[in-house]
Amino acid sequence: MAFKLFGRKTKKACVIGLDGVPYTLLKSMIERGVMPVTGEIISRGSLSSMTVTLPEISSVSWSTFMTGKNPGEHGIFGFTDLKDGSYDLRFPSFRDLKTETIWDLLGKTGGRSIVINQPSTYPAREIPGVLISGFVAIDIEKALYPKKYLASLARARYKIDIDTEKCRDNPDLLFKDLDALLECRRRVLDELWTKEPWNIMEIVVTGTDRLHHFVWDAWEDESHPHHQDFLGYYRKVDQFIGYVYSKFEREDTPENFFMLSDHGFCQTKKEVHINTVLEQHGFLDMETGDSADLTRITENARAFALDPARIYIHRRSRYPKGRVDERDVAGIKEELKGVFESLADDGAAERRPIIRQIFDADEVYSGPHAAMGPDLLLLPNNGYDLKGKVGGSTMVAERRLQGMHTWDNAFFFSLRNDLSDTSDELQIVDVPWKILRSVDVGA
Amino acid sequence: MKGFTLWFTGLPCSGKSTLAKHVEEILLERGVPVEVLDGDEVRENLSKGLGYSKEDRDINIRRIGWVCKLLSRNGVVAIAAAIAPYQEIRDEVRRWHDRYVEVYLKASIESLKERDVKGMYKQALAGKIKNFTGISDPYEEPENPEVLLETDQETVEESVNKIIRTLELLEYIPTAETETEYSADEEEKIKTRLKDLGYI
Repeated sequence: MAFKLFGRKTKKACVIGLDGVPYTLLKSMIERGVMPVTGEIISRGSLSSMTVTLPEISSVSWSTFMTGKNPGEHGIFGFTDLKDGSYDLRFPSFRDLKTETIWDLLGKTGGRSIVINQPSTYPAREIPGVLISGFVAIDIEKALYPKKYLASLARARYKIDIDTEKCRDNPDLLFKDLDALLECRRRVLDELWTKEPWNIMEIVVTGTDRLHHFVWDAWEDESHPHHQDFLGYYRKVDQFIGYVYSKFEREDTPENFFMLSDHGFCQTKKEVHINTVLEQHGFLDMETGDSADLTRITENARAFALDPARIYIHRRSRYPKGRVDERDVAGIKEELKGVFESLADDGAAERRPIIRQIFDADEVYSGPHAAMGPDLLLLPNNGYDLKGKVGGSTMVAERRLQGMHTWDNAFFFSLRNDLSDTSDELQIVDVPWKILRSVDVGA
Repeated sequence: MKGFTLWFTGLPCSGKSTLAKHVEEILLERGVPVEVLDGDEVRENLSKGLGYSKEDRDINIRRIGWVCKLLSRNGVVAIAAAIAPYQEIRDEVRRWHDRYVEVYLKASIESLKERDVKGMYKQALAGKIKNFTGISDPYEEPENPEVLLETDQETVEESVNKIIRTLELLEYIPTAETETEYSADEEEKIKTRLKDLGYI
């Protein structure tokens, strides 16, 4: 009598996420000899430039990566949303993700994943394997599934993130903390590598994003006092990549090695306050007051923005004080497009347009949850960091941080050329399916 | 509330009855009407007299499936916990339903032998029990279950969470009432971090 044997998946894939590392920066670091190990690995595979989903922020990009779906399907549109029936901010959590993750899909075929420092998975929930949540995780106990690995994290002296408040204006502390963070990621990787069976090992380095936000100038300016520190951190990232790869090389399918970033980065020149633009052009009306949020909005407001540049029409059907009827939405969108198309930085030596492209949500989102998202999305020209803050007095203001995200110029690397895409049309939503294919899980 | 059928399939001692009971409790807490059809109990009444030949096993599964269909079309969540070793008959039962979730409890024979307090595996291996699924009778692994549980590697809590999460994602059951994902203190900390990184 024939019995079907219980089979266990044997193929493995290893994924390193480098938060906010641009394709061009990575290439430059390799060309300059700062990242020789990474350069050697990359020379054997295929490195591609990649665009991400909109808006170009980690919570949305990583949610797209972990599901292989666009925000209209996975339901994450930003770090913030409004609470139902109110104008109070809420912070979407992992529970708000409306679709299965690649780890769930792998799990259905009997495969398991170990996922370390994955942004936008807090509070951690059960996955087939192990999950350690990354940004915006706060409490390590809530950031871990299953809890039995708390002791492993303690042994690794694991930290979720640097102290952003203290580090943003203190580069010396920043570099020290970034090093420590990378080390504790390595220790926890060692702890978990052999503790659990796994098919996908994923680890995300988020220090790169913090570095870029706080000291991007040190990259652009070789005479900057922290230029060498900046390169020094990348040398450590290079060693880290080499360390992970050397472990993975000893597994059965070492060709399934991938790296990616979740968005690009560039230098910030100015901040642009979208809600102030809306106010000054008569779309947003607020009661006078001190609160720097949308709770002061009035019934006369026709549109508002949530960070970074998601514009919502103040619909009667959706918001307590909304008075815009559906029949008027298309007209307001056209008016808004006119305003933002002509928005320029008059303070620059040459008058420069601020907005590179305006997207109608219908163009970029599809799926059952698309209606939860914004109506328009603005993509800035490099250097203009769009902000959804409320209460700004000027439309264009001095920058607070040195680096800002970009929609394009993210990267994807596959050691397997048959899973690469050098067409210049690669999008982050395509990447998880390639990784799943490497372990024989179909779309 | 629309009903559906949740079918637990797997080898003897893989945890079908245990998990069915836990899921039943959670669904009842969420105000969902539930009925559990446990394979052992069904053989004491609805299928009394049936044996373990393929024919009798198929009749048993069809009976359970039929009751599940009636219950689920009337707004009840029907939970079946029965070995259901044959793919063909599982597929047939699935075809009767609009909303059907198959949960496969996968575990190695070795782990099941260890778990088997009644010593059934030992007796089957010694030839004292005939037609014992997994030893002297076949078990065809489900080809495409909605939920795969590795009950020799997961805790009961992990397995239950996996089932509940799938049912939530399918929007077959309401999400658990939670005040908020974050405490007030956490919300403040998150806000501060987002400000530090220029997001808000």
